[in-house]
Amino acid sequence: MKKRKTVQRESAVTRVVSYVFIGLSLIIALVPLIWLFISSLKEDPLARPGFQLPESICIDGYISTFRDLHVMRYFGNSMLIAGVSVIISVLMISMSAYVVARLDFKGKKLINAMLYSTMFIPATALTYPVYNLINRLGIYNTRGALILIYACSGIAISFFVIKNYYDNIPRDLEDAARIDGCGYVQTWWHVIAPIAKPGIMTAGVLAFLTNWNEYYWASLVIIDRTKLTVPALLSTFTTSFRTNYNGLFSAMVVIILPPILLYCIFSKYFIEALSGGAVKG
Amino acid sequence: MKSLSWRKRGFILAFLAPTLICFFVFYLYPIVTVFLTSFCKWDFSNITSPQFFGIKEMWTNYKYILQTYPFFWEGLRNSVIWSLLGLFLQIPIATIFALAFSRKMKGVKIARNIFIIPNMISTAAMGMIFLQLYSPLYGVVNPVIRIFKKDFTENILLLKGPAFWALTFAYIFFTGTTTLMILGNIMAVPEEVREAAMLDGASGFKQDLYITIPMIKGTLKMVSILAATSGFLLYNEVFFLTKGAAGTYSISYIIRELAITSPKTQFGRANTVAVIQILAGMLIILLVNFIYRERKQKKRYNEVGEGA
Repeated sequence: MKKRKTVQRESAVTRVVSYVFIGLSLIIALVPLIWLFISSLKEDPLARPGFQLPESICIDGYISTFRDLHVMRYFGNSMLIAGVSVIISVLMISMSAYVVARLDFKGKKLINAMLYSTMFIPATALTYPVYNLINRLGIYNTRGALILIYACSGIAISFFVIKNYYDNIPRDLEDAARIDGCGYVQTWWHVIAPIAKPGIMTAGVLAFLTNWNEYYWASLVIIDRTKLTVPALLSTFTTSFRTNYNGLFSAMVVIILPPILLYCIFSKYFIEALSGGAVKG
Repeated sequence: MKSLSWRKRGFILAFLAPTLICFFVFYLYPIVTVFLTSFCKWDFSNITSPQFFGIKEMWTNYKYILQTYPFFWEGLRNSVIWSLLGLFLQIPIATIFALAFSRKMKGVKIARNIFIIPNMISTAAMGMIFLQLYSPLYGVVNPVIRIFKKDFTENILLLKGPAFWALTFAYIFFTGTTTLMILGNIMAVPEEVREAAMLDGASGFKQDLYITIPMIKGTLKMVSILAATSGFLLYNEVFFLTKGAAGTYSISYIIRELAITSPKTQFGRANTVAVIQILAGMLIILLVNFIYRERKQKKRYNEVGEGA
């Protein structure tokens, strides 16, 4: 991506309005999180509700959270399940999207239409058949079940994003590679896939976030507490912390901390990936 | 056209196979099942063998869902509203933020990075956080309301009307990933185009409105489809915030309730709702396609703006 040479001069009005929205974006993103953190330090949130500051800092909730909750285990489950399923699905889709984008064959239009149609087939509509399938495969209550479900869902979006990217790559590159004696697989792996990497990464990050957020299936196919993903664990909080609000808040802070830390470390790559390589992190 | 060589054939087949297998197993087979069993009696009493109602009675489940089931219309109405809010509120918000982040000004980069954090910590966690914010006991919202209405002690998530909006506001402004995808496309607009616009006297908002937005139409369409679909399928927020109380059922939540939560495990009826959900989903995609349909005089811009 080339650097911009001329520095744009924004007018004063444009600058002020832009700053208003930037300020607004910070408020939206930070207020809930800051409030959560402040509340987690209150010994009794009931006594000092809302935005009142705690009278003294209480970290009992944090101590018990680290002792009893094993946050890293659930975080690990989520990472493993979301990560593996994304690798499978993105690899699968970047292969098929390449064939559909570049080669001519009978039934291409049909395949295109079929894959796009999955976009508006909601996962919730498939609850029972898929549930049944998982049972018949004998993988109910395993992480493998979720990996399978996540790898197979969201095909359409990844397909859409990746094929869009292939379409913008000039065909000359392939012709050159073919003349140099590369086979189809080699051409794809060594020439086209590296160029399409930004598009593939965008699809991967989108899919990862979807899987990371996914609660519906996670709550259906996994029962063992030790195998739960983070969203499924969160759903148990309201009952397990019934009136221990200090504990509840501390546990919530601890559960959102690993993704935030991970994001802070990798935000550069993440932002580049999600913006198709156009925004530098 | 020459006939395909066996190598090419093999390559095509091998590269398509995994996706196709996944499509057949995960989409086609379930959809056929959903469709067929929506005409069957299928609940706790005959869990292993769905039973066709017969030609005369085949619409029994549909009749029950449309006429008797108390939450269907509420759920459908809410899901449609959430879908439209995705299109007409969330996408404009995301675009405005993306335009603000595209300016070359101090602090933009940090703000942009921070704005994405809520999207990192999962919608379930954000739902839980908002559940606490709305708590009448220790939340933030009730003290604010009390400034205007002195003796307000109720839980707004249990008030019909406010509950719907409280739930909506718990997710609709967190557009980080969408904003970033739009921003990526804005940054990919060739500099020459902007410079030409500047020479023509279009700068700031004028440039955004007449040059930038038409050029990123491809991306806007894609994120609009995503926002409209996810609004229509809203589930996590309903589960974590209200569990359908005070008029906040969504269509996804109804399916789960009928099939899994209900003691009668009404699979047939759940699949009836699923068929309606699939059909409505198709209508939504058609609507988005209609909104972003090609208009002739603007075509030139779209071709340039397909990048990213």
